[in-house]
Amino acid sequence: MKAYGCASLILIFIHLMPPALAAYQYDRQDSSISLYGYLQGEARYALDDDTPDEDPSQVLNLDLRANLGSWNSMMLVIKGIDDGKVIDPGSARLFNEFDRIYQDRNPSVDIDEAYIDLYTRYMDVRLGIQKFAWGRLDEINPTDNLNTEDLTRGGTDDEVERKIGAPSLKVSMFSGIADIEMVWIPRYVPYRLPNPQERWFPEVMKPPAVIETETLIGEIPVLTTYHDIDLPALNVRNSGGGVRVSGYIAGVDLSLSYFTGYDPMPVTDAATDITVTLEDVLALSYDIDAHVDITPRISRIHVFGFDLTTTVGSFTIRGEGAYFKDKIYNRKLSSVLAQELAGQRQEEMIEEFMQAYISSGGTDTARTFHVEPDMAILEDSMKYGAGIDYIYGDTSVSLQCIQEYMPGFDEDKPVYFIKDGVDTVVTASFKQFFMQNTLEINLDAAHDIQFRDIIFKPSVKYSFTDNLQMCIGAILIEGKYDDALLGQFRDNDEAFAWLRCNF
Amino acid sequence: MSAYDIVKKSEDLLDQAKDSRADMLMVLVDKKGNQRKRTLQSFVKSGDNDESKSIIFFITPADVKGTSFLVWSEPDKEDDQWLYLPALRRVRQISSSGKGESFMGTEFTYFDMGGYDIDDNTYTLVKEEPIDNNQCYVIEALPKVAKYYSKRIIWIRKDIFVPVKIDFYDKKGLYLKQGIFSDIKDIQGINTPTRMEMYNKQNKRSTVIELSNVVYDTGLKDDIFTQRYMKRGR
Repeated sequence: MKAYGCASLILIFIHLMPPALAAYQYDRQDSSISLYGYLQGEARYALDDDTPDEDPSQVLNLDLRANLGSWNSMMLVIKGIDDGKVIDPGSARLFNEFDRIYQDRNPSVDIDEAYIDLYTRYMDVRLGIQKFAWGRLDEINPTDNLNTEDLTRGGTDDEVERKIGAPSLKVSMFSGIADIEMVWIPRYVPYRLPNPQERWFPEVMKPPAVIETETLIGEIPVLTTYHDIDLPALNVRNSGGGVRVSGYIAGVDLSLSYFTGYDPMPVTDAATDITVTLEDVLALSYDIDAHVDITPRISRIHVFGFDLTTTVGSFTIRGEGAYFKDKIYNRKLSSVLAQELAGQRQEEMIEEFMQAYISSGGTDTARTFHVEPDMAILEDSMKYGAGIDYIYGDTSVSLQCIQEYMPGFDEDKPVYFIKDGVDTVVTASFKQFFMQNTLEINLDAAHDIQFRDIIFKPSVKYSFTDNLQMCIGAILIEGKYDDALLGQFRDNDEAFAWLRCNF
Repeated sequence: MSAYDIVKKSEDLLDQAKDSRADMLMVLVDKKGNQRKRTLQSFVKSGDNDESKSIIFFITPADVKGTSFLVWSEPDKEDDQWLYLPALRRVRQISSSGKGESFMGTEFTYFDMGGYDIDDNTYTLVKEEPIDNNQCYVIEALPKVAKYYSKRIIWIRKDIFVPVKIDFYDKKGLYLKQGIFSDIKDIQGINTPTRMEMYNKQNKRSTVIELSNVVYDTGLKDDIFTQRYMKRGR
């Protein structure tokens, strides 16, 4: 029913709405106002049987820009979303919020960007909800930590699409020698995740359903509750920001940057209640179960980075690197729980339980032990990469190699997404236009060398007219390991199609 | 007057302004006659030593709105080029070695859009003949190194020294495409073709560029030709 509803809505829009919602543009001397946008209907088909289906989605995007002279401008981008992938977590609020990880998008309104600009000869000031784009690499930018991301599609959306606008102040200063960009983000805006029942919920955040132990108890069932984030108080100490200095020197665009603030990557704590229950007094048999509370954890990091780009012959060369100070890596939940429920630890709990049972006169037949395992590894690390682009006519090819290095990696305390202290991702992107840019083929792939997983995203986009476009494609993921960035989504293969009407 | 002098005079007359700005309507026509339209705004500034800077902002359609393209040109040096794509929010430096490539899907190449040096060719006056009752010099331009074309035949009006037609031959010597430059208007004393049509005989596609609101010598500042303005938009 919903699929028909979506298709009908799109058809009605295509036939009736464009004249009514035609792009509006008003210009008068130095002043102007414009309204553009699009309506998009989207359908996704899960290619793997064991992941939940999604309903079709619709997005209405409105882009309003205005200026009252050459010294200012404003922009407002609003998205109305009826999202088929995100299950309503129970919030009745219409607007997406800047303080929650789990959001209601069925339907919702998202203020994607909203800011005002003030221009002077040597300085620009931008105030409002903004998206930043530091760095020169594609999709994976070690120096770009100002915005968190909407991960409700596992990070497979385009980079700018998945960024969440942050209420912030940006001051840019320009001179013939260098440009300086300073950003202040008063309050951390958390990343967004789908609900645990949905297709794109990260597998790395799901504890195993049971923990195997080598005791007589055997399998210990694990129940999980997910909690939303508890943001730090709104004060200057808890704010974030950064500075980026850029220049063009001898044919090279070069930038140096520094960021301090909360790490945009999801990290969690896993407080666990382990309950020992006496099942049979005569046989002295016990039952043990675990209840894990997954709670988001945020931590401040400092990132010192550089990036550059230049051309060599027919090629564009790009490079970027960053040093992360005080970065937190999440330990593998399964290994932490196995450690907490190991044989010796079980014996200690049972012994303590027995003492309580005896001292209670046999009435206390269950006892809960609260543990807060150390889920975090605090380490300085580095992430760096290089890319090369080649454009010839309607063809463009891009290759990148990006590596993360964790010098203090301890193999006894494994973490997610890094194996043996190193993680290397190679990406390839191919774009080909046909028929005067009417038809566009995109082939994007990424391969993680250590985890041996791969994502392949082919798509074909066709423009029926200047204002009506269609795209069909697929997301195909192969991988062996649940603790890998890509491999955790190996059951999420899907085909998709969208139809967009621009106005 | 030699062929070289004719071409040089034609170039000098067209380039006499220190800067210019114009709105452009670009119509791409496929071999079935289907049309695609793009509107752009261009700014060009020339320096004292033959260097120049230009920036183009894409206004419509919606999916390319906000895209901008910046070029810094200096004699005897490869151009510095940057492309800003709003979908990426990043300015990307791009190689300028592909001047023979299509300019944004049109039948014009970057070379056709002005990215050439007059001294890279030798010129021969072939004949004189009228086009639309205007007498023209017909000049053959042969590149010293055939990078993009093997030959161009240029029709330059004798009265105002404005090129009104160019036939292009590909590197194999085959007839490739024809450019027609018309609707010539006297704008601030500069005879300016405000309609340019390029018809590709090989793929049967054409591109029409119509200029409007052309203004010369507005005193454009160098600030406009920077990455700052690429991101800010027009």
